[in-house]
Amino acid sequence: MGVKLASKLKRMLGLFAISAKMDLVWLLRDTKFAIAAIAADAISNLSVVSSVYLIALRFGGIGGLSVDEVLFMMAYSTITTGLFILFGSANNIHISRIIGRGQLEHLFMQPLSLKAQLLTCGFAPFTGSGNFIIGCILMVISINRLNIEFSFWWIASLIIYVLTTMVIIVARAYLVSSAAFYAPVAAEEITSTAIDGTWQLSTFPLSGMPSFIQLSLITILPEGFMAWFPSLCLLGKPPLNLSEYYPLAYALILSLLASYIFRKGLNYYVRKGSNRYVPYGFRR
Amino acid sequence: MIKYAKTAHMACLEKTNGGVIYLMPDIFIKICTLIPLVFLWKVVMSSGVDVGMSMQQMLSYTYVSALLSDMMVVITAASGWLSEGVLMRLYGRPLSVLGQLVAQTVGGWLPKLLLFSLPMAIISPFIGVSLKPASPWFFISLLLCISLGFAIDVLFDCLSIKMRNMSWLISRIRAAIIALLSGTVIPIRLLPLGLGEAMKYQPFASLGGAPLSIFVGAAEAASVLWVQIIWNLILWPVALLVFKKSQEGMVSYGG
Repeated sequence: MGVKLASKLKRMLGLFAISAKMDLVWLLRDTKFAIAAIAADAISNLSVVSSVYLIALRFGGIGGLSVDEVLFMMAYSTITTGLFILFGSANNIHISRIIGRGQLEHLFMQPLSLKAQLLTCGFAPFTGSGNFIIGCILMVISINRLNIEFSFWWIASLIIYVLTTMVIIVARAYLVSSAAFYAPVAAEEITSTAIDGTWQLSTFPLSGMPSFIQLSLITILPEGFMAWFPSLCLLGKPPLNLSEYYPLAYALILSLLASYIFRKGLNYYVRKGSNRYVPYGFRR
Repeated sequence: MIKYAKTAHMACLEKTNGGVIYLMPDIFIKICTLIPLVFLWKVVMSSGVDVGMSMQQMLSYTYVSALLSDMMVVITAASGWLSEGVLMRLYGRPLSVLGQLVAQTVGGWLPKLLLFSLPMAIISPFIGVSLKPASPWFFISLLLCISLGFAIDVLFDCLSIKMRNMSWLISRIRAAIIALLSGTVIPIRLLPLGLGEAMKYQPFASLGGAPLSIFVGAAEAASVLWVQIIWNLILWPVALLVFKKSQEGMVSYGG
């Protein structure tokens, strides 16, 4: 059992290494384009988070959060955006694109499980780590300014919350992407709506807002978990009298639901196939 | 003119080809962003910091910016004219290329105006937002903003021709820069550290932020309109010249 697990882990690390190598090759072969991509990622994210930070700076905070607490929240948001780009550069999180374009078949042909491929194929440490590094720097600055006591447990909590946010992002993306199994043309870009369309909303500090908005954004939509709720938990003041474990419970329920719906869609797709490959198919 | 109207009509129908239902996720997200944004500004403005704008003005500013977002910062299909094969379609018709782009873009605005902007305008009084312009000059300013938006779009499109397959990256960088410098997300005058005064006269400030300031009565119409006219007079000849030179450099591999 242990040997099997170790061998699986070794294989996964090997696959991550292959993706990293391909990323490096791209950077070296097409440096101009790769640097432009790195700059575009950084500028896009900084534009979104700086808007909120500039508002906080102008008004001396937002809804009871100080300027430094808003900076902490923006750092958290930048780290999650960074991780998203770091591990999702091959549309493996924007999965509706792969489904809608009929590219799932390409994955079926590989001698690897679908899970292993989707987990490792988007790893881009050389061109995709810019936002993650910027987020870490912002996080260190905000921690210093807030005089947060650094402890092993606090760092572990930070890692757990960031992973929880990532699980929620991926689960939501896979949940909505299931529509692409049934309507590949119409739903090909549904993850863009679900992820990119809500990017600005996910940076809003919800403190001080009416509770119907706060509650809606941690139940119906998960935008409150993208930065606001976990940041407040890490600052030692979980909002709405909810438990610090609430994001974890939400992530668990959402991922179970996404897994069930996605599998159902996949079964449908396996039986019906992609209309990309029929004579009148789109993108043919 | 009828040909352009027909092109606009086709662009409008194209958006709803798959059925109106497929526009709903986008509209849902827009509503879900707009309402918290309104409350975010309510929270921020209730802090009592004097920024030269009342809460009512700020709410109207944000609301109108969202309702007319397509017009505040114009984005045409030309952004993807190399990678998505828009090029072939535009040059294959007996109409002016730029004229078609304008008609297509304006036609493409209509479904969102009907399905998002109109219903949200109707419910605005219930959210406590006034949609009455403070000055009729708003409409002139909006036209100048749209005109300048097309000129800036053409310039970015020419950049994407020059950079070949970087159109997507250029679109991302452009969206990020314009979001911050056009005043559509944060009014230019609210920028801290003296940035507001420094940014007032750059061309992007004459996009969405200009008509919005006039709409809420936060700026003197004459000075705003002059700056918009000057930028239109500068950027349109430049855009036309650069476009003329760029046409030779277009390379497309199709859709």
